[in-house]
Amino acid sequence: MFEIEHADNGDVLCRGRLDAAQCEKAQGFMDGLEGANTLDFAGLEYISSAGLGILLKTQKRLAGSSAGLRIINVNNHIHDVFRYSGFHTIFDIKAKE
Amino acid sequence: MNRDFPRHLDSLAPLYDFTEDILEASDISPGVRFPVHLAMEELFVNMVKYNPDVHSDIVVSVTVIDTDTVTVVLVDDGGVEFDVTAERKVNIDAPLAERTPGGLGIHLIQNLADKLEYRYKDGRGEVIFTKGSGNEDV
Repeated sequence: MFEIEHADNGDVLCRGRLDAAQCEKAQGFMDGLEGANTLDFAGLEYISSAGLGILLKTQKRLAGSSAGLRIINVNNHIHDVFRYSGFHTIFDIKAKE
Repeated sequence: MNRDFPRHLDSLAPLYDFTEDILEASDISPGVRFPVHLAMEELFVNMVKYNPDVHSDIVVSVTVIDTDTVTVVLVDDGGVEFDVTAERKVNIDAPLAERTPGGLGIHLIQNLADKLEYRYKDGRGEVIFTKGSGNEDV
């Protein structure tokens, strides 16, 4: 299961498992984002390369307008996936405390 | 334990449940579970994506070798040869403008595996991914 929605504070809340079967849902939401956005991964348990592709595609689109994604509350497993993928150099990432 | 899964993305949820039930029953640590699930998905999706005209099920097995080492095997009967152990160039230091989506799945598996094997003969591909707690990194 994967859920994505706006929180009251404007952040984008992601929950569950972002696997290849959930990409259409995630991409559809991400395509509606404009400007600077914060993705809150506190409830996201898992991400695969398919999910990484959506983040990358969105970051590239937003970079065209000098904005981008900030990702917060990243669990240690996903954080290491980001590190292996070199995402820590192209995203502003904050680990879960 | 073996199970056959239909060759489409709708199989990912039952594939996760099948794997998680086995890992849960053996009390496998989260540091092993995460890469096992990741490898399972990446390998399965690869077999689906690169064989659009093949309709046979993909046979998956999960084995807990000892207290905290897991081996997963995926058998793809009728698919094209795709050596997941072959070296692939992925520049993880490239700036955003030079990045393109794709290619990270195999890169991640190769980095997360303790051991990764691939065999292909007579149209039958077999991938064996092994992960133990002695090399936890995610």
